[in-house]
Amino acid sequence: MRVHEVSIALGMVDELARIANENNAKYIIAVNLRIGRSSGIVIDSLKFAFDAIKLENPLISSAEILIEEVPLKYECNECNESFQIESIHFPACPHCKSYSLKLLSGDEMDILNVELEV
Amino acid sequence: MCDTCGCEHTKEIKTVEINQNLLKANEDAASHNREHFDSNGIFTLNLISSPGSGKTTLLEKTAEALKDEFSLGVLEGDIETDLDAERIRKKGVPAVQLTTGGACHLDSALIHKGMHELEHQLNGKKMDLLFIENVGNLVCPSFFNLGEHIRVVLVSVPEGPDKPIKYPKAFKTSHVFIITKSDLLPYFDFDIEKVKKDALSLNPELKIFVISATTGDGMGEWFDFLRNNLK
Repeated sequence: MRVHEVSIALGMVDELARIANENNAKYIIAVNLRIGRSSGIVIDSLKFAFDAIKLENPLISSAEILIEEVPLKYECNECNESFQIESIHFPACPHCKSYSLKLLSGDEMDILNVELEV
Repeated sequence: MCDTCGCEHTKEIKTVEINQNLLKANEDAASHNREHFDSNGIFTLNLISSPGSGKTTLLEKTAEALKDEFSLGVLEGDIETDLDAERIRKKGVPAVQLTTGGACHLDSALIHKGMHELEHQLNGKKMDLLFIENVGNLVCPSFFNLGEHIRVVLVSVPEGPDKPIKYPKAFKTSHVFIITKSDLLPYFDFDIEKVKKDALSLNPELKIFVISATTGDGMGEWFDFLRNNLK
């Protein structure tokens, strides 16, 4: 079964190969990602998939995947307090119990940068 | 000097800033699909649910009800087999089976390919309404924008009332929520008001239908919803 983390890792490998060629790189040293707590990406699954798929391309096979996990933060639309929570389900404002919240961070799934040897 | 063997070769390391979404390739393909749907006047829905919620049955009934009013097309996503597309074709509606060969979701590149096959089957006839039936799975399909206008999430009564809170992303990213097999409500512990409330607290914009393809309950509202979007 190919879950979404595998599709994402396959897409990453294509993108990294393109970047390596564009920059005439000898190989890719590392790729830095930022993944939010509620993005729905399981970091261990993504690392596992990437480390398996990268071996097929010598430009990428020694690349290290470095992931910054972004916490889930909301701002309450009622009392304007901002807060961080661990659970991704049904957040309520811890100050006034409102469910009307604005997401400040936690849904990221970005490639930040790539380190190459040229 | 090289720090490995002391030779004259120096390592040159460069950092390339990217700052783009990991799903950018799919998003780009989704935009391309959406432009195609818009410029050809094709109203497109993407149906997401667990296996066995009644997606194909809903499409069979919708095909029976609307095929004389509108030109329909269906893209059927499955890991294996042509069974679902065959069920739709039996209703007289063109259907293309997309077998993902292992992936538990459709992506925009597959939809692009399927669209061209469907247009080939339609042989120049305009399409008004396109249904994409995603692979049965409430997790992964919610990550992949296919360029659809409306995303529909379905839950059947026998699956139980905890689906919205267990699979929040499917509900947060959908526009319509259909509760299917409502004729089975007397036999299951399924608090329909609680399910609706849970779904709406995840996504206050959700439009909710409660239907039974067996008795026909609620089907008229669903057909009218489609008709209103095609005006």
